[in-house]
Amino acid sequence: MPGDKSEILQGTLDLMVLKTLEAMGPLHGYGIARRIEQISEEALQINQGTIYASLVRLIQKHWISGAWGTSDNNRKAKFYSITKAGRKQLHTEAQNWERISAVIGRVLRIAERG
Amino acid sequence: MLAWIRALASRTRAWLSPRHADQDFENELEIHLEMLTDENARRGMAPEEAKRAARMRLGGLTQLRETNRELQGLPLIETFLQDARYALRMLGKSPGFTAVAVLTLALGIGANTAIFSVVYAVVLKPLPYVNSEQLFNVFEVQPQQGVTGTGWSYLNFRELREQNSVFSEMAGVQKHQLTLTARGEPSIVNTSVVTPELFSLFGQKPLAGRMFFSGDGKPGAPPVVVLGENLWRGSFGADPTIIGSSINLDKRAFTVIGIMPATFRFPFLTKSEQLWIPLVQDPVFGSWMDRRGGHWLQVTGRLKPGVSMTEAQAELDTISARLAKAFPAENDGWAIRMVPLQQMIVEDVKSPLLVLLGAVGLVLLIACANIANLLLTRATSRAREIAVRTTLGAGRARIVRQLLVESAVLGLLGGAIGIGLAYWGVAGLSWLLPPSLPQLSAIRVDNFVLGFALLLSVLASCAFGLAPALFAANSNLQASLREGGGRSGESAGRRRARSFLAAGEIALAMVLLMAAGLLLRSFSRLMSVSPGFNVQHMVKADISLPRFQYSAPQQWAAFSDELLARIQAQPGLEDSAVAVPVPIADGFINLGFDIAGNPPVFAGASRTANYVSVSPDYFRVMGIPLVAGRFFNQHDISSAPRVSVISEAMVRLYFPNGDALGKRLTFGFPPDPGAVREIIGIVGDVRDVALGQDPGPMMYVPFQQAPFWGGGVIVKSTLSPSSVVTAIRQEVRKMDKDLPVTDVQTMPDIMETSLAQPRFRTLLLGVFAAMALVLAATGIFGVISYSVSCRTNEIGIRVALGASSGAILGMVLRETLLLALAGLALGVPSALVASRVVGHMLFGISAKDPLTLAAVAVTLAAVAALAGYIPARRAMRVDPMVALRYE
Repeated sequence: MPGDKSEILQGTLDLMVLKTLEAMGPLHGYGIARRIEQISEEALQINQGTIYASLVRLIQKHWISGAWGTSDNNRKAKFYSITKAGRKQLHTEAQNWERISAVIGRVLRIAERG
Repeated sequence: MLAWIRALASRTRAWLSPRHADQDFENELEIHLEMLTDENARRGMAPEEAKRAARMRLGGLTQLRETNRELQGLPLIETFLQDARYALRMLGKSPGFTAVAVLTLALGIGANTAIFSVVYAVVLKPLPYVNSEQLFNVFEVQPQQGVTGTGWSYLNFRELREQNSVFSEMAGVQKHQLTLTARGEPSIVNTSVVTPELFSLFGQKPLAGRMFFSGDGKPGAPPVVVLGENLWRGSFGADPTIIGSSINLDKRAFTVIGIMPATFRFPFLTKSEQLWIPLVQDPVFGSWMDRRGGHWLQVTGRLKPGVSMTEAQAELDTISARLAKAFPAENDGWAIRMVPLQQMIVEDVKSPLLVLLGAVGLVLLIACANIANLLLTRATSRAREIAVRTTLGAGRARIVRQLLVESAVLGLLGGAIGIGLAYWGVAGLSWLLPPSLPQLSAIRVDNFVLGFALLLSVLASCAFGLAPALFAANSNLQASLREGGGRSGESAGRRRARSFLAAGEIALAMVLLMAAGLLLRSFSRLMSVSPGFNVQHMVKADISLPRFQYSAPQQWAAFSDELLARIQAQPGLEDSAVAVPVPIADGFINLGFDIAGNPPVFAGASRTANYVSVSPDYFRVMGIPLVAGRFFNQHDISSAPRVSVISEAMVRLYFPNGDALGKRLTFGFPPDPGAVREIIGIVGDVRDVALGQDPGPMMYVPFQQAPFWGGGVIVKSTLSPSSVVTAIRQEVRKMDKDLPVTDVQTMPDIMETSLAQPRFRTLLLGVFAAMALVLAATGIFGVISYSVSCRTNEIGIRVALGASSGAILGMVLRETLLLALAGLALGVPSALVASRVVGHMLFGISAKDPLTLAAVAVTLAAVAALAGYIPARRAMRVDPMVALRYE
């Protein structure tokens, strides 16, 4: 496994998909995958297919919705957009994430000092 | 939580239309690939290279599809269905086991469902009236005299209805039987005599026509009648033009104003044909409306919403105090009580039915123990299969789940067949049910009962499936694989579980057998108890004179005199008499009395005795012996001094000094309640209330001195009952051609009918106990057979070493008896505790009857020995060579 590429957790991917959809508006699967790779500056290398498991999970929870539409270059594609419930969830999850990462960060610093 | 539910809903949708979702996903993947390929091409890759790289970026397509399907589907249900299919295959492989288990369960669940349908319809289901929980029976009590619940006088009821503020509506009813002459033969019909508010109280709309208005209840109103649907269909051929036409009740014309649906029953709660008339129109009770004394009107009220029973009772107390102050002569010492209508209706039948339900529940429990035992045996022989599955990666939870699903499949199969049996059983039960059982709701397997059966199947599956599944999943993997056949590989824990189950079955069977044995012995005592009068060759028929035509007591006396003379003139009918009431058949009339010269009864104690008015030959015809003094004779007529004959029990109770003859008693009915009667004779005791009730004090009066408008003609004859009745009918018709002769019964039939309730429960409990016995026997048979087959090798060695076949037989039987003894040790105390429940249903036998207990224990031990004997014989015949080669 390449050293500079990180494994990502399932829940984390869902969170990133939600954030992407919130920031970019409706996107198809390929678009979401590309966007996540770009933002992470290619630090996260995912099998783009795994994005679909995440999308199914989010749709089932009604946090995003999907509909067939036409892409820029006139292809039919399924576009996903974040729902109201999804925005709320994203907000909670993001706060959680920050709190936890802050705690972990503190713990790690203590460990280093100790 | 919400998100989770949404996800489940979405999964279910996708699961229900999998092809659509799959196709959608395929399209999406394809487009994604195209986009990736385009991107790669833009970066300058060759088309082939671009396509290959795109596949790499997207990931393995097969795996993606698999993950998607898993996410979209319902894995739990899918594996359940998979497990169920597998279970069906496994069960199909051992049809013997499956048949026994399913059949046992089906019997257990079927019997439970059938009994539950009765309990549900009779006891549990809310009464079929609008907001029935608001309905209460309101009655008067006189605690000092021990009067616990009686009706009202009409005047008191009126004040109660008008003065109270807690009941939104109240109505009074009384039951009566009137002669209906409309078309064809005159007949006696159940008549509810009611205040006009009855139907609005129950919120009951008529099927056709109208119900009573308050004007119909006023004196002088034209006579009107509401027919019950059953009567309308049965006696009037469902004539649609009946409303507005006229029918005759007791020879008086009534206009039909409405028809009530058959589902509405009150106050007659059985399915009988019935009609309703306003109280004011009744020939007897109508004339009692202006008397404040008397307690004959049964009152029901509907509590206003939001009023508690305590508040209502407080107001009732105020009203009773006010009544006592205003009319002390009639109301002093009386109080008002209320009880939910449902409780009042089901009170008497509730506990016997619940006992039956408990009993049939025990049968199911035994059945479950039996199946658990079978499953344990099977799990042992399937140890290898399970070991292989474990080796191939099945987790413990997975194995337990698989085995539980097998149990559930068994349970549901048994439940399905059991529900079928229940339909059949309910039909059978309906003719076994005592006719007096209140049947306000139809007894049938409805949705609620079906739900019960389903729940029962699932619970039963858990009951018999859990332990075997846990044991099986715990089995020692290596040992199971090594042992190959899994023949002797039963763990000590599992053997203990099996023995415990078998012993438990015996203990449960003992409880049921004890209860059934007690009821059976009690019933046989009831059958053989002497009622104190002749039963054989006795026929009884009722005649009731219409009070509009025969209004004077002298007419009643004259009619009876002439009729009896005519009947006695017929050859073969010389032994005939008249009585009101006829013992057992008609119930009883309990009257208070005073002894002349003795101080009047002080408050808190009352002298009462059962009252019978009889013709002079009554005692001779009935075979009631004379103890002292004389019987009545033809000189004891209304112009002669009043006389009375009393029973031995009355002498014992009220004349302990033996000086009864010549004493004078004051008692009687209207029209002469204060008549003084000299005691001229003492006769033997009679069980007049019920065969199971000890004879109480009785006082007889001559019919000529205390005539009544109706009564029973009793004939002792060796002629056939039908020719006796024909002769009576002929004579009655000669005197009055419109007079019906009703309720014709032979005395043996009357005795039979009076035993319907005890027979019903004895029969059912007997059947359940027999089922329990058979199940427990098969349980023991199973355990011992299995133990013998496990020990074939050991037995072979013993035989080879010179053990006699007797010794082998002894060894196996010892094991059996040990099991049986363990079961009995558990069973005896349980049976003694449980038999208390049936204690109040017993006649002439104690709930702890040692003889019954011993008989039941011996029976169980004998049956257990028999069940063990069959495998023991097989053990005796073990050929040592075969047994040793077996390994």
